[in-house]
Amino acid sequence: MLLAARLSRFAGCLLLLAAAAAFADVLPDERADAMWKVYKGGGITVQGPAVLVRTNVADKASFTAGYSVDVVTGASIDMVVLGASPLHDVRKQKNFGIDYLYGKTTYSIGLENSVENDYDDTTVSAGISQSMFGDLTTVSLSASRGWDIIRRVINSAGAKDPNFRRRSDRKTWGISVSQILTRNLIAGIDYEAITEQGYLQNPYRAYRFLAAPNSALFLTAPEIYPGTHTSNAVSVRLKYYLPWRASLTGKYRYFYDTWAVRAHTAEVGYTQPMLHDTLTADFTYRYYKQNAASFYSDLFGFANQQNYLARDRELAAQNNATMGVALSYDILKSQHWFVKKATVSAHYDYIAYHYLDFRDASQRLFPAGSEPFYRYNAKVIQLLGSIWF
Amino acid sequence: MPRPRIAIALALLFTISGCGQIQPWVKPYERERLADRVMAWDRDPLSASFIEHVHGNREDAKGGTGSTGGGCGCN
Repeated sequence: MLLAARLSRFAGCLLLLAAAAAFADVLPDERADAMWKVYKGGGITVQGPAVLVRTNVADKASFTAGYSVDVVTGASIDMVVLGASPLHDVRKQKNFGIDYLYGKTTYSIGLENSVENDYDDTTVSAGISQSMFGDLTTVSLSASRGWDIIRRVINSAGAKDPNFRRRSDRKTWGISVSQILTRNLIAGIDYEAITEQGYLQNPYRAYRFLAAPNSALFLTAPEIYPGTHTSNAVSVRLKYYLPWRASLTGKYRYFYDTWAVRAHTAEVGYTQPMLHDTLTADFTYRYYKQNAASFYSDLFGFANQQNYLARDRELAAQNNATMGVALSYDILKSQHWFVKKATVSAHYDYIAYHYLDFRDASQRLFPAGSEPFYRYNAKVIQLLGSIWF
Repeated sequence: MPRPRIAIALALLFTISGCGQIQPWVKPYERERLADRVMAWDRDPLSASFIEHVHGNREDAKGGTGSTGGGCGCN
């Protein structure tokens, strides 16, 4: 339930910005990708297919269309604590985009729609990308507007509460600069601001508070979030070509928002072709840390202790580390019928989540507030097939 | 006009006047390595999109990566 959550809302704009930023004065390759992905961790399994097709017309316009399905099953720590039924839900996402190239400028528009039982999201986006200074620099601007409708499922049959229908609106603005620095080095700087207003919380989540002063027991009540949220993220990226035909990548992002969350994300990557250039291996390591939101607490002293109350672990202080490896094998490297090239890829990521002030409240043998901190590991597997035409 | 403002104005003037004369210090024929597929930011857009939502739905931070996004979250 409530699969779309937060990030799905930004898909269209980000996808569009990435395409425009990378190819300001030339259209992207025509290709089709199909993927089966699986996420397993924290009691939840997400799996399903995804496809993405891009085709160009007259070297002037590029059309993309994508479709993705996520089937979610299991029970997260929050559902276990609240005694909710195990989850079985399906999210279907469609996206469509057009890039139009005129001289050294690319104009882009996009539309994304995500539907699930209790959450609908529609996002429209637009962007412009300009190549300049002898094509050494590419500057991209983007903006998007999104509308979400949130409902609440009240039983395991999927029936919805007829009296519960909430909305949230969202605007994003982004600027991205990609710069060729040397024959071997590319850099990128990105900034994105996001404002949201409306119903921004999860209707199923609850905060917990002591049943009585100094009690070992806790009770729960629905969370209360602020009605507005503004966030800013700035990042720098570097990619360096190594002398033995490999590349090294470094990324850093700083994030801050009006809920007092500050987050740092650092990532390094290494790419190495091998076996006469038929196999490409990617290795990545990513580290993330954040502090807690101002209205977050693992355990409040009493009910309605303050105006806003949350116990979402996404708003808790946490750090996590991701180690990833991907292998991509070229099964076709020369023209065959209409296919220019074809690859198959397998990606595996292992993520270790550590929460610093979110306790495992399912362990009822401990007095409230002294349970061990929650931690879990997740595995992400992606199998892809791609053709260029 | 205070001196700092004059200095900023001069700096901007020099910067703007220099823009029209910037010559690409990496010539087009020197960009073979940069065009190599090992230098692509995201070779698999579907994969990059999915892994970004895996992270984004479990973290408060989002956006600003200059990369693909999207995805689902869950309880």
